[in-house]
Order: sequence, then C-alpha cells, then structure tokens
Amino acid sequence: MSIVPKETIEVIAQSIGISNLSSDVAQALSPDVEYRLREIMQEAIKCMRHSKRTVLTADDVDSALNLRNVEPVYGLASADPLRFKRAVGHKDLFYIDDKDVDFKEVIEAPLPKAPLDTTIVVHWLAIEGVQPAIPENAPVEALVPPSENKRSEHNKDDGLPVDIKLPVKHVLSRELQLYFEKITELTVTKYDSDLFKEALRSLAADSGLHPLVPYFSYFIADEVTRSLNNLPVLFALMRVVRSLLQNPHIHIEPYLHQLMPSMITCLVAKRLGNRLADNHWELRDFSANLAASVCRRFGHVYHNLQSRLTKTLLHAFLDPSKAMTQHYGAIQGLAALGPSVVRLLILPNLEPYLQLLEPEMLLEKQKNEMKRKEAWRVYGALLRAAGKCLYDRMKLFPGLLTPPTRPFSRSNGRIATSSLPNKRKLSGSQPIQQPPLKKLAVDGPSGPMPSVPITANTQVGAEGFPSISGDSGLGASSSSGQVSNESTSGGSQRDKGEDRATMMSSALTQAWKEDVDAGHLLASLFELFGEAIFSFTQPVEMSMFL
Amino acid sequence: MEDEEIEKKVLAYLKKKCFLQTELALQEELGRFSSSFHPDVPRPESGALRYHDGYSKLRSWAYSSLDLYKHELLRVLYPVFIHCFMDLVAAGYMQEARTFFHTFREDHDLMHLRDLQKLEGVLSPQHLEEMELARSLRQSKVNIKLCEYSYDLLLQYLQKTQALTMLGIINEHINFQVSPGQPTSISEDADVVSLMGSSHEIAKQINQKEVHWGLLEDSLEERLERAHSDSEKVEGENKEVDPDENKKRSTEGGKQVVPVKKLKKDKVVGTLGKNVRSETSTVSMAPRVKAELTLPVMPTEAEQSILEDLRNRVQLSSLAMPSVSFYTFVNTHNGLNCSAISHDGSLVAGGFSDSSLKVWDVSKIGQAAKTFNTQGEGEASENELLLGSDDGKRSYTLFQGHTGPVYSATFCPLGEFLLSSSSDSTIRLWSTKLNSNLVCYKGHNYPVWDVQFSPVGHYFASCSHDRTARVWSMDKIKPLRIMAGHLSDVDCIQWHPNCNYISTGSSDKTVRLWDVQSGECVRIFIGHRGMVLSLAMSPDGRYMASGDEDGTIMVWDLSTGRCVSPLMGHSSCVWTLAFSCEGTVLASGSADNTVKLWDVTASMKPLRIDDNKTGGTINRLRLLKVLLTKSTPVYTLQFSRRNLLFTAGALSKC
Repeated sequence: MSIVPKETIEVIAQSIGISNLSSDVAQALSPDVEYRLREIMQEAIKCMRHSKRTVLTADDVDSALNLRNVEPVYGLASADPLRFKRAVGHKDLFYIDDKDVDFKEVIEAPLPKAPLDTTIVVHWLAIEGVQPAIPENAPVEALVPPSENKRSEHNKDDGLPVDIKLPVKHVLSRELQLYFEKITELTVTKYDSDLFKEALRSLAADSGLHPLVPYFSYFIADEVTRSLNNLPVLFALMRVVRSLLQNPHIHIEPYLHQLMPSMITCLVAKRLGNRLADNHWELRDFSANLAASVCRRFGHVYHNLQSRLTKTLLHAFLDPSKAMTQHYGAIQGLAALGPSVVRLLILPNLEPYLQLLEPEMLLEKQKNEMKRKEAWRVYGALLRAAGKCLYDRMKLFPGLLTPPTRPFSRSNGRIATSSLPNKRKLSGSQPIQQPPLKKLAVDGPSGPMPSVPITANTQVGAEGFPSISGDSGLGASSSSGQVSNESTSGGSQRDKGEDRATMMSSALTQAWKEDVDAGHLLASLFELFGEAIFSFTQPVEMSMFL
Repeated sequence: MEDEEIEKKVLAYLKKKCFLQTELALQEELGRFSSSFHPDVPRPESGALRYHDGYSKLRSWAYSSLDLYKHELLRVLYPVFIHCFMDLVAAGYMQEARTFFHTFREDHDLMHLRDLQKLEGVLSPQHLEEMELARSLRQSKVNIKLCEYSYDLLLQYLQKTQALTMLGIINEHINFQVSPGQPTSISEDADVVSLMGSSHEIAKQINQKEVHWGLLEDSLEERLERAHSDSEKVEGENKEVDPDENKKRSTEGGKQVVPVKKLKKDKVVGTLGKNVRSETSTVSMAPRVKAELTLPVMPTEAEQSILEDLRNRVQLSSLAMPSVSFYTFVNTHNGLNCSAISHDGSLVAGGFSDSSLKVWDVSKIGQAAKTFNTQGEGEASENELLLGSDDGKRSYTLFQGHTGPVYSATFCPLGEFLLSSSSDSTIRLWSTKLNSNLVCYKGHNYPVWDVQFSPVGHYFASCSHDRTARVWSMDKIKPLRIMAGHLSDVDCIQWHPNCNYISTGSSDKTVRLWDVQSGECVRIFIGHRGMVLSLAMSPDGRYMASGDEDGTIMVWDLSTGRCVSPLMGHSSCVWTLAFSCEGTVLASGSADNTVKLWDVTASMKPLRIDDNKTGGTINRLRLLKVLLTKSTPVYTLQFSRRNLLFTAGALSKC
C-alpha cells in the first residue's frame, strides 16, 4: 500500500536493534515513513533551489533534515552528485557504487593539490545586443558532438541505462595496443624505412583495425599540431591518413571531423617544415588530393563537408594578408576538388588576384628571392587550375570553341606582338630573373601532378612562339611580361588595356554560368595568362586539326 | 434509534438552510442504505467502490460530452478527483485510495503535477491534517466558471445517473459560477482551475483593495526631467521660470543644511503643473504618491553622481539593445549560492555554502596583484577586523561571520553596505568601506532565503522558511514589520520602486503584495505552477514580473492583480529578473544558461488602451534576444543606472 514495504521497515528495525517488531507496527509505520520521506525531499528540493542548483546533492538532504531538527546522515556529503548503480536483475533497485579503497594506497598517495581559489572573470556577453565571438561566450553554431559518445555507443557491452553517462572503459586487446604503438613509433621516427611502407600497406588492408581508429585519428590530429616544422613526419602522417581512408574495413566517417583539420593544416599552413630545402609543395599537393578524395567519398553523406572545406580554402585564397604558401595550398586544394569548383570560386577572383600576385613575381618589386619563387609557384598553380577548368569546358562544348577563338587568337597575336619588344627588353635587361624560373621548371616534374606543367612547357614550345622566351621556353614568363606591360606601358595602350580588363572581368565573372561561351573564357584567360593557356586547349584543336 | 434521530435532525437542518440538493442526496443515500441494509457485500468495499465507479463514470461521461462544452466539464474532474481521493484517505481506505489515485492521476499530471506529487504522499487521515495543502483544499471551495448549458448538462447527468457520491463532492467542494452564453475559450482555462490553498474568494476580496502603484514624488529622475523641460522652456519662451530655477539651484547648492522634507515641498509647489508636460518618458507617466516611510537623506556627492549617470543613460528599446557584461565565478566547486552586483557594477559579492561571503572589487581585478597585496597587508596590521587579507594572494575580501550557507546578498544603492542572509537564520550587515561586519539581525526562526535593500537604502526586507517576510531598518535590530500569510516558504522578495510596498514570492505558488506601512496583504497573484524564484518591479511601478522553477515568467498588473501575459521560453528555473531603467526591456536569467531579453513595451501599450475591457486577450511579450552563456547558469542580473546590464553566474563543469 505504501511504496515502502513493511519488510523494509522490519529490516530497518533490525538494523537499529529492534528484533521483535510486530508486523502490525511495521504495517502502520510504512505509510508514515513514506510521508516523512516525501516531506524531507520537498524541503531538500527547496534547499537545492536556494543554492541555485538543479541537481540534488547529499548536502541538500542534510540541510532539509536540519530544518526538521533531525540529525543529518553523515558520510555521504560530497561536492559531486552521487553515482547510483542499478542492481543486476532488479528493475528499480539502486545502490551507491562504493569502491574498496586500499588503505596503503591512500596513505602512500601524494598529497592532492590545493584546490584553486574562486576568482571572477569578466567578459562581454553582448555589446548592444550582439554577442562577440570570443572564447568566453558559447559558440554560436552548435559544434559536432565529440566522438566520445559514438565510441561509447559502439563499445557498450551491457545496456544498463544508468551507466551510460559514466565513462566507458574501452577495452583494447594487447595485440592491438602493440600494433598501435608500433605504427605510431614508425610514423614518428622511421618514416622512410621499408617497414613503414609495409605498415602503410597493412593499415590500408587489415580488417581488424577498427577499434584503433579513434586512437589513430587522435594521434594524427595531435601529432600534426605538434610537429608542424617537421616535414617528413607530416608527410608520413598524411600517408597514414591515406591508408586509413583506403582501408575498406574501417568505418571512418565518425572520425572525419577529427582528420579533416589535420589535412587542411597540411594544405594551407603558413610554414610546413623548418628548412628551406623542405619540399613542402609536395606535401600540400598530396594533402589537397587527400582532402578532395574525402569530399568525393563522403560528400553525399555529409552535405556540408565540401562546402565547409571550400569555405576554409576560399577564405585562405582571398585573404591578401596570408602568405604565398597558404595561397598555393588553397588553390591546389580547390583545384583538386574539380573543375567546377575552380570555375565557381577561382575564376571570378582570378583577375584581381593576379594583379596582386604580379608585383610579387617581378624582380624589381620583390627583392626576396624566396618570396618571388613562391609567387611563381602560386602562379603555376593558378595556371594549372584555370587550364584544367578550361580544358574541361572545351571537352564539354567542343562546338563552341572554334569560331570565336580565331578572331581572338588573331587579336591575341597582335597583343602578343605588341608586347614582344617590351618583353625582350625585359628578359634581356634582367637575366637574373631566369634562374628561379629554371629551378621551377626542374622542380615541376617532381610534383604529384607533373603531366600538366610538362605538356604546358612543351606545348608552348611547339605552338610556335619560340622567339618570345628564348631559352626557357616557359610560356608563363612571357605572359607575365605581357601583363606587366598592360599596367606599365604608355597611355594609349593603357586605355586599351583597361577596356580589355573590363571586358574580361565580365567574362570571368560570368564564367560560373553554365552556358557561358567557352571561347570567351579562353580569351579572358588568355588575357591573364598569355599563351600558356593554349596548352590546355590542345586536344580539341588537335582533333579539329585532324 | 440514535442514528435515526441524528438523521432527522440533519434533514431538518438541511431543510431549514435550504440545502436542497444535499438533502436530496442524503435522502437518496439513506434510502439506499436502508434498502440494502442486509447486503451480501461488506460495507467498506462498497464505500470505496462507490468513489471509484462514480468518478470513472463521470470521467467517461465528461470525455464523451460535446466538444464545445467538453473543456469546461473536464475542469470539474480535477477537484472531484482530489476530493474523492482525500475522502477515501479520510475514511481510512488506504489501499483503495492508492489504487484510485494511480488509476486516474494521468489525466491531471499535465496541469497539476506538483500538487499531485505532494498529495501522493498522503497516506493517513493524520497526514491530511498535517499537510497544509491538503488541509486548505479540504476547507475551501473551488470556483469553477461554467456556461449555463454546461452546468445544465452536468446536473442532468448527476441526477439521471443517481451518482450521489459525486453529487455530494461537487456540492461540498465546488462553487459554480454559471455565466450565461457561450463557454469561455480554452486559452483562458490555464489559470482558472489552479487549486490554491487560499480560496479564490479571499484572494478576490484582497485584490479589491486599493494599490497606489505610482512613483515617489520628487524622485531624482523626475528632477532631471524637470531640469530638461525647464531648460527647453527657457529656450522656447521668455525666461519666465528663471526665478524658479534659480531657487532650485540655490536649494540644491545648500542641501547639506536644508532638510529634505522641506525641499520636497518647495518642489511640489513649484512644479505642480509641469508633470503634464513631460509625458514623453514612460517613467513620468506614472502618478506620484507620497512616501509612507521617512526616507533617508542622500549625500550631495552621491546625488550628483547619480544625476550624472541619469544624464548619460542609454535609451533601450527593441532596436537599441543593452550591452551585457558578464562576471563568471570560476573554481566555485559547486559552492556558490548567490551573487550580488552593486549598482555601478564595481563590486561583486558571492555567497557560498561554506558560510563565507566574498566581495570582489572589479575595478582592481585588472591591476597588478602586488600593489593590491601590500595595500591589503597594511590594512590588516591596522585593523584586526579585516579578515580577508591574511594571505596576500587573494583577489577578494572575505567576510566571515555566518554559520550556515549564505543564501542571498544585496548591496545598498550607493554600494557602501552589503547585506547577507544565511541558513543560520540571521541577516548580517557588512561595510564595504571598513571590510567588517557591523550588525547581525536576528528575528527569523529558520533559514532566511532572501534579503533586499529598498531602492532608497536604509530599509531592507527579508523572507524566510518560517513563512514570513520582515521589514527592517538598518538602525534597529528588531524587525519593523512582519508579514505573515503565505502558506509555505517565502522564497523571494522585492521592493516596489516607491518603497510603500513589498512583493513576495512563495513555494505556495503565489506572489503577494504587502503594504509596508500597515503590514497588510493587498494583492494575491495566482497563476504560477511552481515555486516562485525571482521577482522584479518595473521602474514605473505598475508592473511586476515573477519567474518560477518551471521557467515561466509572468508579468502582472499591480492595479488589477491580473497577469498581463505569461512568458514561456526558459526551460529551467528563472533565477533572476530585471527591468531596464526606463522599463522597456525585461531581462531574465535562468539555469538553462541563457539571458533572455523581452520587449515589454510591445504588449503593454495596446493593453493600456483596452484596459477597461475585461476581455482576456493574452498578448505575449516579444522575445527580443537570447544570449547564450558558456555552460554558466545566470544567478544575478543588474541594470546599472546608465542601462548597462551586469550579469553574474558560476561556471558549472559540464
């Protein structure tokens, strides 16, 4: 009749030394015990509210007992709420998990640190109604829930609902732990050994690795931030990521949010590696392809994955205060996502960007050779991205190409010739400019996408402008000269240049439209890049030629 | 024989008093009783069953009645349910009462969860006597509004089915207010059937009393405005008021000598006509009343600084939102019970469960610790009472004296005094200048939940678990007034801007307004479904906001005693409420880690126009802005005189 059964009363009576409690008395006591319990709880809740809390603690019950002039129950006070466990086999029987403590351990344990003293931190919660984005304020958009929850869901053994909130111990077999230690050690120390290659192969193929994925993803994220100036390690880490992505037995999706930042770091970080000789360009290219492959694979599952990536990259690309290396990474990352992304995001910004880039590439403007080299790198990447996009368009609309190119190529020719003497002067007067270019050409093939630049170089050579850039044969140099001419040459030519600039910027801004004329696009790209862009039209022209 | 005599007498009594239905019921019952005098079923069984059957029939009838009248009829069910249960308990059928309660409680869980939880524990007739809720329910009648037709339907049903038990309960405990015409709309239901301990009748009677909700005459705001309008007038017309102004200047200059009362009279005489003109501001629209308490004299420097603040006040509205500065208490180890912020935001106090009270001087937080350190030590050597600086690293002043958790703290308007109330049933007055305890006020018998300084200082009010609220003045160690009447703990207290009234919120789910001078209860506000945790008064003195543990905020009109509109939005306890200085924005802070800003003007303005109509159009106040904190429940809100919002809370580990 009451929720306190009379058996309980009897047990309690025995525990305080009354052994012969008659069952009538117990029967009569039980409703009163329940009423008193409820009364105490009611008072305890009041105390909880006045302590401005929403969780009842043992202290509240003590003060409630105090209010009723009852001796408090000693030994349960603690700052944390009590943790109850459900007794196995009973629906609603709970007990407090009271672990055995080894006396020796308690004595030998070092003294705990003194608790920190209370202090006040002041910040603006809002300024004229707008919340500033500072770390003291809650983030405006809800973050992705941490992987911990998912992990505990995967590994929970017994579905006791009470225990869900307790930290779940993650049981890893001894073998897996060894494996993990070995792999991480290899990654950090022996990244160029054959053993590491074997390890990568194992990571890409072994089936039993899934329990390790959270640890790997944490390790990668952690290690990338730690060894930003150690290029080989970064590279090794990215290779591990690639292997993990390749492994068909691993369900990697829940950990992507942890891996993506690392990849993006390796793509657009300002400095990767600490030596000048470090070939961080290669790492950037590698990470760009990695990130793009992730987008291709999981883009349909997480719709905002690609948009978030492109947003980050575009942000890096459009910020003039960012370093050239970051721009390079951003361009490569966007280019790896496919021609349509290039068309949507890079091409509309191409012209203003080149205007910014150009002084960086010129000797007289940028004295730092390193920086100049970087600028040329960026230029190459831009050219490649734009060219690939153009190539893609041409393939789609081969018919559109031919008629408009002709007049344009003619006019182009005129411009090219008009700029020719200047160019000669330029290259003649500044022979120092060439060495970096040459180096660039040498560096080119070592990149992960060597095919495009090479065809560009050779193609320009074959196009029939051998006289322009005498020794190197790199189309880019001529175009840079031409662009610089447009801005530096005399009055009449500048007018023309401005006309052209407006025209082509309109063509570029229109580039995102599906039905844009590929020819216009080509023309405007030609304006910016010069003949180098023709290399990308080659197959079509070849087919026409045939 | 004997029984029959009694029955006869009773019948005679009923006849005399014209209790026709009861008489009928009694006769019917008697007839039934005599007819089944030798029953095969034992009587107790049938007694308990009668309730069960009767109620379940009534219930199914009400649920299957006409849609239009259904909600009205359903209202009847709850009181019937409760009284059936209590009758069963009173008659000693414990088991049956339990089963009955559990069979039907679901119907009422939504509306009356808390009451049901309380009643669930009632298991013997003694408990009925002991529990104040049950007792008052037994004693009082519930008012239920029904339209004519619903009433007819109900009567027909009860007579047709001969459900005498139900009829008895309904007659005994429900008072029908039959209104002609159509049934009332459902939206109005919410607060109609909240069964309160005190009967609605009393509440109604009390709410008939007159409340002078206006502002004090000659407040500083008024003076400032007058100065404004004067200067305008000076510009617009010829220097007609010049002597008046001169007079004011001179009085203001020589205030140290001139007693305030005299000054006030001067002003009132001088500016009677001007009140009409300055109607642009919301504050000035309020009527003026005389202060019933002798007001303390304010030092001139303080007055000047306040006037300066008032001149620089930012006008807030739905378009111009306030800036909010947040004081986060870190490393509190779950020990922070309350916090208080001085009016200028320079001092922050925290009351802890380890009986300590700590005060931070925010202006010094940024400064190098060293200078503060040496300063502190020097003071310590001079003054034994300075408890806070035995360890030089502390960034705060520690006030020790209480012997139980500190539940509330409040700064006086000028910030030189601090009051704290504690579970040791005392209130202590501290000086922030001397860093020491000045007075210990003893009077309450149980933990003092809340203490608040009056808007003019000097006076303060406290409320306690002993179900009373008390009004004190700083210079007397005994309370000036004791307000008794709440049926449960008084949890929060707030002064009316004109200092003539205080309002109290209680665990009995009501808010009451008390006249400070007479100590009488002048308003009872019924409508909350949980314990009332926070109160705020609008600066024009007309409205009051109260927040409860469910997260509901209600805005009340003091003069009518009605709820202007309930504000739903918070999902957890509303710890604190504050009106902006000109009363356009209401801020609320809650355990759900948000500060919400509500537009008060949006709904008040139209309401003023159709004030006279009793048509209950509930227009909700508009939620302007939700400001999310980083896992920090908001304990205190305080608008500065310049309308900067200070908030405080303790970071809780997630």
